[in-house]
Amino acid sequence: MSLRIGVVGAGGFGRAIAQASARHGHEVVLWSRKHREVPHPIRSSTDITSVRDCDLIFMAVPARHAAEVAEQLGEVVDGRHLIVHISRGLIGPELKTISRVIREKTVCRRLGALAGPLVADALAEGRPSGAILGTRFPELTKMVREAMGGSELRVYDTPDVVGVELASATVGFLTVVLAYAQEVGAGPSTLAVLATRGMVEVSRIGQTLGAKESTFMGLAGLGDLIAAVAGDERPEFRLGRALAKGAKLSNAVGEAGAYIEGIEVAAHMMEHARRLGLETPISSTFVALSEGRMSSDDAIQALMERRVGKE
Amino acid sequence: MLKRFLSEHPLRLPHLKPYVPRPSDPSIFWFNSERDDVVSDVVNRICTAHESDRARLEMALNDAAFHEIRRLEKQRDDEARERLGYWRSMIRRIGKMDDPEQRRVLHTIVTNMTRDVAGNFDPRVYRFARRAVPRLIGGVMEPRRLTQDLMAGSSDSLERVLRVQGDLEHLRHLQNQGSLVFVPTHSSNLDSIVLSQALEISGLPPVVYGAGKNLFTNPIISFFMHNLGAYRVDRRIRVSLYKDVLKLYSQVMIERGYHSLFFPGGTRSRSGMIERRLKLGLLGSAVEAFTTNRVRRVDRPVWFVPTTINYALVLEAETLIKDWLTEEGQGRYIIEDDEFSQIDRWFAFFRKMVGMRGACIIRFGDPIDPFGNRIDPQGQSLTPAGRSIDAGGYVERQGKAVTDPARDAAYTRELGEVLGQRYEEDTVLMSTQVVAHVLFRDLVQSTPGMDLFARLRLRGEVGVDSEALRRELGEARDRLLVLEGKGRVRTSEVVKEDTPDELLERALSFWNGYHDSTAARREGDRIIIADPSLLLYYQNRLVSFAEDIASPDQLQAACEIENLGVLR
Repeated sequence: MSLRIGVVGAGGFGRAIAQASARHGHEVVLWSRKHREVPHPIRSSTDITSVRDCDLIFMAVPARHAAEVAEQLGEVVDGRHLIVHISRGLIGPELKTISRVIREKTVCRRLGALAGPLVADALAEGRPSGAILGTRFPELTKMVREAMGGSELRVYDTPDVVGVELASATVGFLTVVLAYAQEVGAGPSTLAVLATRGMVEVSRIGQTLGAKESTFMGLAGLGDLIAAVAGDERPEFRLGRALAKGAKLSNAVGEAGAYIEGIEVAAHMMEHARRLGLETPISSTFVALSEGRMSSDDAIQALMERRVGKE
Repeated sequence: MLKRFLSEHPLRLPHLKPYVPRPSDPSIFWFNSERDDVVSDVVNRICTAHESDRARLEMALNDAAFHEIRRLEKQRDDEARERLGYWRSMIRRIGKMDDPEQRRVLHTIVTNMTRDVAGNFDPRVYRFARRAVPRLIGGVMEPRRLTQDLMAGSSDSLERVLRVQGDLEHLRHLQNQGSLVFVPTHSSNLDSIVLSQALEISGLPPVVYGAGKNLFTNPIISFFMHNLGAYRVDRRIRVSLYKDVLKLYSQVMIERGYHSLFFPGGTRSRSGMIERRLKLGLLGSAVEAFTTNRVRRVDRPVWFVPTTINYALVLEAETLIKDWLTEEGQGRYIIEDDEFSQIDRWFAFFRKMVGMRGACIIRFGDPIDPFGNRIDPQGQSLTPAGRSIDAGGYVERQGKAVTDPARDAAYTRELGEVLGQRYEEDTVLMSTQVVAHVLFRDLVQSTPGMDLFARLRLRGEVGVDSEALRRELGEARDRLLVLEGKGRVRTSEVVKEDTPDELLERALSFWNGYHDSTAARREGDRIIIADPSLLLYYQNRLVSFAEDIASPDQLQAACEIENLGVLR
């Protein structure tokens, strides 16, 4: 059955989703603030009311714009609409998830978060790929699979929405850590320990916010991190390398060529962990490194000398 | 023998002349004429859901027989002697029964269960109860005033103690347009009595609610409960069909426009904390009632009224916190030997309460639709920006209203989260809770590194200088008022208006003389923490706000207190 699909945000992901959905034979409208040229048969619009008649809306905007865009969407959507967001980020010190922002700004309740090792180019071109959809609503999973799933894209699902959002947001930070380590000469074994223990660390924090550990160990967490390390050219990777070469954080962010939310998220997560009395050795060490309070040799030594226990 | 007879055959008044409800009567006045219809609707829906699937039907019968045999074997009473034979013979025959026989057996079991659950409503009992109960409660509080109150037709004592807050006009307006489902916090067994009085004095309609079958063994309570629309819930029965009956009974009643009440916390908050983890079964029945009406194109909305019941003194505080602190307590769903069952404690409790103005505050929060949206005076759901929308859209798929149990279960979980949030915002913090929090924070601060249980053993060992305590109380209150300004919580009039000194005296006076041991006492210039467990119970109401009302040097202690919230 042909669906009416709205895509809000015409960045790399927004355009890729629009292309994938159009390729599946659905009617697609792509909204952005400025007029964009889009391939046929996608319809481009700068009027937010153009998504009012859609059955399914994808919100593909950076996390820092999510509240503003959700507020605009809130003026046109109602209980009929199903919304999926693809933002890797958490808002503010209270680590507010994007689905919570959408819930606060709109009346939509059938929400989902799409994450995992999803790469915009692969999605646009239809190369085999996989993703994880966090939603409590099975009908939403069905609709997303109908919209763009199939032999090109395997869409797995989990009811752990907050887990998907937290894992996805923290992968950005861990990618920076791994890129840094790689650049300063860490070998495969060091990288594997950093990746695995880093994921355990963030999942421990995630669990205090209602996430499930298994979600961090699945596509949304480790799966996505493997894609990042395997080299899908994320800006976080460039940031990690630049920091390792001695660039200051603000310069390195500029060099990476994109706004990177991972570092901010990490700082807020560490503050949250501190309040709960949780240990965050990898995150704390990396923040000290990036602020120039520690050298990379000292950092590795400090991590290696920690008391070791059961996994 | 009498207890069992009463629980199975509640007393009713003879019907000499049937009562014909007037249009202005609350919906429940129609119940008796619809009772058989409701029962058969419930039975038919359950039977239809099972009949098309032999495996499911057989599983349901086996489950019923298995759990009933297990229960009755443990009970070893008259009921066991009568019923065990039936279930044992049935479980042997289930596999050999043909389809029609299995269906017949299912129909019989479900019909018996539904009839046992269904209540009754007698307008005569209702009229009597609404006049007499407040005065009797008032009489228990102040025996000297009983005659005066009975003559005057009102109870000043009760009105002094019980305060009702909220947009009552809005609720009164909505009661004629849809089904109201009151979902209160639960602290005490007195809650249903207090709440029914609050509904009565607010001009809100009587409600249908489930009451434990154990309450029906007392002939007087049984008579009132049964004749005021309560349905009976036998918590001993573990049969899955029985749970279906309870849920569907509640659902059908809400679909038909009967205003309802249930406690989503399921049981009294043992810790004293505001409930966060809610039982979703009955909430789900109300969400499904909304869907079913929409699919059938019946325009009868369902609205939830988050309600908080706030006591300065909790009748069963000691038992509840003891239960929370012992592992055994975690699994004890029904407590039958607490202060609620001791009449002398009732007297002591009410006498203490009556001396304190506004010692119990019921707050009816703003009503919401099943999807957590606020409602305008016309009953339309509102967006956060105030645009009105049709709530029916939530159950539509590509323009058509459809039933989808998985979707409704997800809506129910979300509704549970919204209610948890609303409970915090609508909780009215009382003097005893604020004073207990500040004292408990001092206890934590003065015992760094100690665990909770070690702290709870420090009876009478930690004291706080009264002057310092007064200052801390004043600061905590000021910060609470800031939170109140942001809509995060509410405080009672007393907390707002009293000086810190008065607040402290008020709390000490509440605790002293009612509980077996007081929570704190004055010794010269010091306030001594006498019972940290009791203090913990009262302060637990504030765990979510601990950090927000702490000064920088109290932050560490506040964090430790806030982390207690993880245990709720």
